[in-house]
Amino acid sequence: MSRTSLPLLLAALGWSLMPLLWQLLTSLRTAEALVLQGAGAWLQGWTLDNYRLVLQGDPPFWRYLLNSSLVGAASTGLTLLLAIPAAYGLQRQRPALRGALSLALLAAAMFPYVLLFLALLELARALGWGNQLLALALPYAGLSLPLAVLLLRAAFADLPEELEDAARLEGLNLWQRLRRVLLPLLAPAIASTAILVFLFSWNEYPIALTWISRADLLTLPVAMARIAGSSVYAVPYGAFAAATVLGALPLLALVLVFQRQIVSGLTQGAVKG
Amino acid sequence: MSHTAGLHCEQLTRRVGERCLLDRLNLAVEPGESLALLGPSGCGKTTTLRLLAGLDPASGGRIRLDGDDITTRPAGQRQVAMVFQSYALYPHLSVVANLELGLEVRGVPAAERRRRIAEVLALLQLEGLELRRPAQLSGGQRQRVALARALLRQPRLMLLDEPMSNLDAQLRDQLRPELRALLQRAGHPVIHVTHDQQEAMGLADRIAVLDGGVLQQVGTPQELYHRPANLFVARFLGRPGINLLRPEAGVQRAVRPEHLQLVPDGGLPVRLQQREWQGAQQLLRLESDLGLLLLLCDAAQPLGDALQVQWRAEDELRFDGSSGQRLE
Repeated sequence: MSRTSLPLLLAALGWSLMPLLWQLLTSLRTAEALVLQGAGAWLQGWTLDNYRLVLQGDPPFWRYLLNSSLVGAASTGLTLLLAIPAAYGLQRQRPALRGALSLALLAAAMFPYVLLFLALLELARALGWGNQLLALALPYAGLSLPLAVLLLRAAFADLPEELEDAARLEGLNLWQRLRRVLLPLLAPAIASTAILVFLFSWNEYPIALTWISRADLLTLPVAMARIAGSSVYAVPYGAFAAATVLGALPLLALVLVFQRQIVSGLTQGAVKG
Repeated sequence: MSHTAGLHCEQLTRRVGERCLLDRLNLAVEPGESLALLGPSGCGKTTTLRLLAGLDPASGGRIRLDGDDITTRPAGQRQVAMVFQSYALYPHLSVVANLELGLEVRGVPAAERRRRIAEVLALLQLEGLELRRPAQLSGGQRQRVALARALLRQPRLMLLDEPMSNLDAQLRDQLRPELRALLQRAGHPVIHVTHDQQEAMGLADRIAVLDGGVLQQVGTPQELYHRPANLFVARFLGRPGINLLRPEAGVQRAVRPEHLQLVPDGGLPVRLQQREWQGAQQLLRLESDLGLLLLLCDAAQPLGDALQVQWRAEDELRFDGSSGQRLE
């Protein structure tokens, strides 16, 4: 890294990490301490009460974490299940057709999905999917698919074609080629796509808000909005911040677990290197 | 062996859209014979290889292997092995796992898999590298692993796509005889594709020259060199290239640079333009009334002031000026 880019990097890190740090501090202080002024303010008012409050609510906060994790896992799984074969198929099309389909997918990926949520609500009503936690995975997977297919298609395109040819000659059928040769090499791309889909599902608000009304089935964003709006007379900053921190933890864990996969370039050495 | 043993292509054709990549190729390769497909890029040699392997469908014609018609048989069931130009080793697997995958998928029992892999590792001197990943191997080692994988297929036909092109020149010279010995021992037809005539001559019993998807000539390297079917073959083979004399009356005459001789008198007067010393030989660029001539002679040969060249009539090749076919 060059010397001049270091301050830039620190500035960028500060820019993106400051709000998180602020939330963390806020979550650990009493409501009174938040408005204290003066030099001694930082010495007092530290507390875990906010976390206690959030975790002992009714339903307890871990319930929302669980709900969001379930929906996230289901959406991610469903998306990958459909996107991987679709991406493979797309990559094997004639260039002209592939280009046209990719363009259509791009248009779908770019479409502001907020415009769809009323229509989706009608659909949920008609099909009786309201208040069914895992039903949320269907619109989430549907909305994530275009981008996921495009990302994975690009990853398939980066694999040398001769690898699959070699596997074909050795007698591997399509499924064996995917499982034994192509997917292991696509692991980094699959991991990063999975995280994108999971993040979308984790943060999604309008559909979750309209499809789910039972308190014990809420996902994180909706539950957190309820905490923030739970009192007419005061904004419960501390509790809200504690919920934010708790809600971010699973994502942090996920990125830590997969970071090696996301960063590594496994195709190295496939061809002359 | 019956007369149908080996590989037979009949009128093999590959068309993509309007373009004809391979036009009615007829070719026969015997068991144990090594054939080189030689030609400039885009001549149809890789197309031929992919058709034989079953990686691309044929638009017409037939492929018979040991009497079986395999034209429409899927690649995985042809028992054809191929060494790819990039070697196409599975980068996420160790050497042993690379070799084992195909055997495992084809249902070979574990004990036999181990035995056969040990055998081929010993044959190709790859012992000690079993657990390395392809990225941790040198170019020559990768080539040997790719070859080992192909041999484990127990192929009825072995295909090699530019097997030497990823190696440096010195290694190529060293590996060529080794590769040739290995392939000869195996006893199945071998076809290898190259654009390098030296490699073709060093590895192959016979050479098939392709241009524009059309087979120009098949024969031993000597036949191709001395009795080329047409002007394309004559020009494609030989370094430095054949001299083309100025066409006369619809006849194109051509002489190889080593067949030109310097004579004191009675020859074609030439002027020396450039002299290139090559160690054992020297290459002279000569200007004459019949056009630019290259002459290859002993490096010790003294050069006088007034140079004259001549050549024996039987060394001169004559081609039809319009069709390019050789005239007897």
